Amino acid sequence: MDVLRRKTWSPYAAGALAGLLLVLSIFVTGKYFGASTTFVRAAGLVEQAVAPEKASGMEYFLKTKIKVDWQFMFVVGVLLGALASARLSKESRAVAVPSMWSRRFGTSRVKRWVAGFLGGIVLMFGARLAGG
Amino acid sequence: MNELLTGAVTGIIFGFFMQKAQVIRYDRQLGALRLRDMTIVKFMLTTVLIAMVGIYLLLDLGLINLSVKSLSLGGNVLGGLIFGIGWGIVGYCPATAMGALGEGRYDSAFGLLGMLVGAAVYAEFYPVLKGSVLMWGDFGKVTLPGVLGINHWIVIVVLCAAFVVLFRWFERKGL
Repeated sequence: MDVLRRKTWSPYAAGALAGLLLVLSIFVTGKYFGASTTFVRAAGLVEQAVAPEKASGMEYFLKTKIKVDWQFMFVVGVLLGALASARLSKESRAVAVPSMWSRRFGTSRVKRWVAGFLGGIVLMFGARLAGG
Repeated sequence: MNELLTGAVTGIIFGFFMQKAQVIRYDRQLGALRLRDMTIVKFMLTTVLIAMVGIYLLLDLGLINLSVKSLSLGGNVLGGLIFGIGWGIVGYCPATAMGALGEGRYDSAFGLLGMLVGAAVYAEFYPVLKGSVLMWGDFGKVTLPGVLGINHWIVIVVLCAAFVVLFRWFERKGL
């Protein structure tokens, strides 16, 4: 299966396959792709472990039940699929700071990691607000 | 089949495709935001194109249901702007951050931790937002063909044509 070991596929070909996968997923299981809700559920799992009474009283978690569901496993699967693909094409390597970032902001790991963390907070708040 | 198993298998295949298309890389995502590299836009719009046709075909055959999200101008516009600022800093969106971690780009782990915190913060503010921002310009569950009052295949054909024109332009410009 040489094609699975190739370093890269055309984004059009990979995108078309992803589209077919989505259609198949909806046809077979009725599930549309998504990721953001899983982050709220995962945060809920943490809150449930740390402060169960607080979590059980929160309005948001009455609407969005804290549980490991289809989408949760989908999000975990994305990590595993990317890992498998990167391994097969020998593209898997530890990168602490992306090259485009370091050209503009320098090679400091801490700077990149702090920015990533803070940016992540902003990103997910916005994503949930927009319903994504 | 078990829901958790199908979720994991679907995610694995999707993650595989995203890695092969190189869309889970910071440089690709920032490249798109800087209008220099349209790889992720090509990937996303091709997915939309194929899925749009497939989903409406199955819908017309009565084999599936749509899952339509509510249109709330307050939530969508404000949330989109906030998301965009965060995305520009992190350089990964939620699913691609997981993929990037699988590839070994472990700066995404800090982005993922931030996203967990952001999700918790949103859950805290949800009762306030529900009665304010999310109610601004709330149109409920609407679709483009529904609002325009035309057959969905007209919308699909127009969008497909627009995507193809865009793809040709990307290729001509070497984006």
